[in-house]
Amino acid sequence: MKSSTFLSIFIGLYLIIFFGYLFGPLILMSMTAFNSSEFPRVSPWECFTLEWFDVLARDDALITGLTNSLIIAGGVVVLSVLIGLAGALILTQVWPRLRPWYYTIVISPILVPGVVLGISTLIFWDRLGTMFDARYDSVFYDGIFLTIIGQSTFISAYCMLVFISRLQRFDPALEEAALDLGATHTQTFRKILLPFLYPAIGSAAVLAFLASFENYNTTVFTVIDQSTLTTVLASKVRYGINPSISSLAVIIVAITLVGAIAHEALRRREQLKIERGEITDSSSAAANKMQGWLSGNPAMILLMLVFVAGLGTVWFGSQYSPNQCKVDVRLQKELLQQRQGPDIFSPQGGEQTQPQAPAIPDGSGSGASDTNPGRGTFGDVFDPGNLEEGEGAAPSGEGSSGGGSGDDGAAVQSPGASTFGDVFNPGNLEESAGTGSQE
Amino acid sequence: MNPVTVLRKFFDRHGLFVGGYLLAAVTFWMLMMIILPQLTMLDFSFRDNLPPSKVGGPEDVYTMANYTFLVFGSPGNPEPFNVVDLSVFGRTILAAVFVTVFDFMICYPIAYFLAQVARGGVARLVVLSLVVPFWVNELLRAFAFKILFGASGVINTFIVTIGLVDQPVDFIKADIALYAGLGYAYILLMIFPIYNAIESLDKNQIEAARDLGSPWWRIHWRIVMPFAKPGITSGCTMVFMLSAGALAAPQILGGPSSLWFTQLIYQWFNTGGNWPRGSAYAIVLLASCIIFVLLMMRLFKVKLGEIGR
Amino acid sequence: MSAGVGVELDDVWVRFGDFVAVREANVNIKGGEFFSFLGPSGCGKTTILRAISGFLEPSEGTVSIGGANMAGIGPNKRPTALIFQNLALFPLMTVWENISFSMEVKGAGKKERRHRADELLELIALADQGEKMVHELSGGQRQRVAIARALCAQPDVLLLDEPLSALDLKLRQHMRTELRAIQQQVGITFIYITHDQGEALTMSDNVAVMRDGVIEQVADGQAIYDDPATPFVASFVGENNVLSGKVTALSKNVATVDTNLGKLRARVATAVQGGLNTGDRAMLFVRPEAVGIVETGSRGGNKISATVVTEEFEGSNYHVFMETAAGEPLKMSLVNKGQSRASATGTKLTVTFDADRAVALPVGALASE
Repeated sequence: MKSSTFLSIFIGLYLIIFFGYLFGPLILMSMTAFNSSEFPRVSPWECFTLEWFDVLARDDALITGLTNSLIIAGGVVVLSVLIGLAGALILTQVWPRLRPWYYTIVISPILVPGVVLGISTLIFWDRLGTMFDARYDSVFYDGIFLTIIGQSTFISAYCMLVFISRLQRFDPALEEAALDLGATHTQTFRKILLPFLYPAIGSAAVLAFLASFENYNTTVFTVIDQSTLTTVLASKVRYGINPSISSLAVIIVAITLVGAIAHEALRRREQLKIERGEITDSSSAAANKMQGWLSGNPAMILLMLVFVAGLGTVWFGSQYSPNQCKVDVRLQKELLQQRQGPDIFSPQGGEQTQPQAPAIPDGSGSGASDTNPGRGTFGDVFDPGNLEEGEGAAPSGEGSSGGGSGDDGAAVQSPGASTFGDVFNPGNLEESAGTGSQE
Repeated sequence: MNPVTVLRKFFDRHGLFVGGYLLAAVTFWMLMMIILPQLTMLDFSFRDNLPPSKVGGPEDVYTMANYTFLVFGSPGNPEPFNVVDLSVFGRTILAAVFVTVFDFMICYPIAYFLAQVARGGVARLVVLSLVVPFWVNELLRAFAFKILFGASGVINTFIVTIGLVDQPVDFIKADIALYAGLGYAYILLMIFPIYNAIESLDKNQIEAARDLGSPWWRIHWRIVMPFAKPGITSGCTMVFMLSAGALAAPQILGGPSSLWFTQLIYQWFNTGGNWPRGSAYAIVLLASCIIFVLLMMRLFKVKLGEIGR
Repeated sequence: MSAGVGVELDDVWVRFGDFVAVREANVNIKGGEFFSFLGPSGCGKTTILRAISGFLEPSEGTVSIGGANMAGIGPNKRPTALIFQNLALFPLMTVWENISFSMEVKGAGKKERRHRADELLELIALADQGEKMVHELSGGQRQRVAIARALCAQPDVLLLDEPLSALDLKLRQHMRTELRAIQQQVGITFIYITHDQGEALTMSDNVAVMRDGVIEQVADGQAIYDDPATPFVASFVGENNVLSGKVTALSKNVATVDTNLGKLRARVATAVQGGLNTGDRAMLFVRPEAVGIVETGSRGGNKISATVVTEEFEGSNYHVFMETAAGEPLKMSLVNKGQSRASATGTKLTVTFDADRAVALPVGALASE
């Protein structure tokens, strides 16, 4: 039928646009992680490189944030699963007339904006601290503790929903049977209910971990003087950008994909197990296993392809050295710049193994970093030696032996810095940083 | 039944150990994590910003100052109202509504496709493709949009290269990047509730309507949408709340001149150092969200339980 | 063999809010007995079972097991084991783990548990199936595992809550015999809940028939069938023709009831002897198999004229459905002895029954179909 072909074309087109919107930004971001360009971008493509992963690995602030995030996520998993489980178990036992009230209260954290949860947690524990005359290094003012509490407020509700849906399939007669056979209440809980809930505990824990790990709105208030991955990321993304953030995104996307593959494989296996249970002839089912695992499952096939492609990229990256390419690109750029002068699309630089300098806040917020062409392009060319050094170099000017080492954060922000290498003057750095932040 | 017998029955039912754990966990959650913090924040919002030494002293009295500030500005304000903050508030709410509508429009077809058209492997592929971006960090998603929409971003490079414009367009200043990023962030939360609702719709109803000669748009308007109303309400509520309460995306994608209301709160807490005022603003945000939820519940006649799902 | 442990319900009431689930239950179940509670769904029989097993406390009255008052003693401390309607086998455990669960919670070692489980598997004819998961068993096998699990706890009283209702007819009949055999083998008290009178009558030493929370009669199967205490019991257990009228005369426990088919005589049920008086309205119950065709030339007795509506042949029996002159249905069951099957539709017959095989009871509620 004509109209139906039209319709399926339309649906196909819509799906393509929709998933383009869904994946386009992520794919582009991931690509920037492999471009040697100083600023995260895809075009012009300079050189394929994995150096941003090195930069990422050596970023202490990020590592500290990551460690804290993992600690917090661990705490949140334990607390939220415990609370969510209790919340779900109690739901059926609340006096029926009070049940809607109970449900409203415990479900409300999901609907309350994250910032409000963060603020209320912060203030509440601050007040408690004042009440007990606690010192500032006590638990009441500890960013990690407060973040665990603040995040668990709503993550517990997520977990509770997971448990409720699992408990709806629980046969209460099993508990009674256990009691009847002489088990104590605790034994019944441990031997009957808990094993039944294991899968839900697993999913609740994963959910809690992910939700905690990526939370920003609540965390930014409760974390006080500590940092988490998200708060570090936020300040990086807001103030100074370089593609090492993209490389972090690549890692996270990869982990998510692997997780999705694992989940799908597991689900598939469960399904096969059920099918096998129904078909008593288990040997034939086993023979079909691999085939069944893939057949009729485009999701799996696609994910496998993505996974293989990812592995291929890593292998390629480990074999390939971008240095020659970078030199070429740099020369080209020099030529181009000499001919045309500064151009807003000119890439910002060529130095490579340089660690990211601490971000310098810029007041302009938006595009300060993209609108300044005056990056010390020549600095690196003149002093290739600094490619290796300068981890701790800050724009304070201390790292003056190689102007290039300190200029990353500063010069990127400052259009005033001369293209012709006044970054070599240590004093200039401070000045240019100042200009940058006044904009 | 009095509380003592209720409690005794509870422990009879669970035993001392499990019962104790259940009661302790839920009490701690409800009191120490939900109710008391919110009440403390409410209380705090009615106080002056005092140094710690004066807290509890004679100057520590209740005041409406933090709220009047939001409405009228500081006493020396020449304008009759606090135009800056109020307009930020209004714009946040409007933009959140806009993001919600935008998300609904792009998500409804997908949800319908997923629930009624797609089968087996395709459906799983679509679901997975929806979930994967959702677990990428919110900040990184915003970052991706910054790359996309930045002055030297992909879109600008493209449209300049093909000669559509001569100068890069400032998508960030125009808030386009922000809306696209916010809309993107909550796609999943819009799709799943609608999907769940539509999935339980009997296909025969649609076929019957089609059989009776109803055009496709009427089928959706008269059959699918009314049926999926709880899911739609749930999705819209979630997206609105999260957009209005978003902080990361506005911080990263917002233009320099257009603040989000959460950013005002953030400023009072961080740079402003005025916690009570920040609390008052947070209360205003919370109250508007509650009002929105109640409005949705009233308007579409759904229960809270259906939204929370 | 010990006499076993008896169970006594003394004036037990169970209320849920305003709803009375069990009203004044007084039952004395002797040790080693197979005792059934029979009644339609919602009659309160399961509630009684839960009160005995300890899952709920009676609102009034006492439950005693082996002479000990069970008030305040939880289900895990009572010498009872319950077999649930849906069996409630633990799905995440193997068969033998299920069976030996009661030992596990008491801290018995694995070897000991395994040994005992194997013994019980032997008893239920499922040896070598111990390692299987529950869902790998058939319905009848699960049934037996549930019994073994309950027996493993070495209860004094085994409670069974309609455990056969999920099985198909053939299996159900087989399991009846098996259950009875197991009971005789282990010698403990069985308390069985069912809405299936066949189960109750075939297996039980004694049966309590319940309606709307009230125990209407406690007696052995034959007494329940032949000498019902109430119209409900008479109509619920087995089939009965009902004729109602007014008692006009009583002599030696035989009542003469004036029905719209004329005067009919019937034995007064044992339970109401002395309670049914001349002038009372009464119901007269006649089993279809007690009805016969009047031999030509016979004298006296109860005689009813009726018209054949239809006839059903069942092999060993055939059933004649008739309509009396008053328009009421009347069923007659005749044993197939090779006699010529009489009656085409419309045939007029005169049928009779012995006064001794009919029962007269005061008017009361009947079992709805």
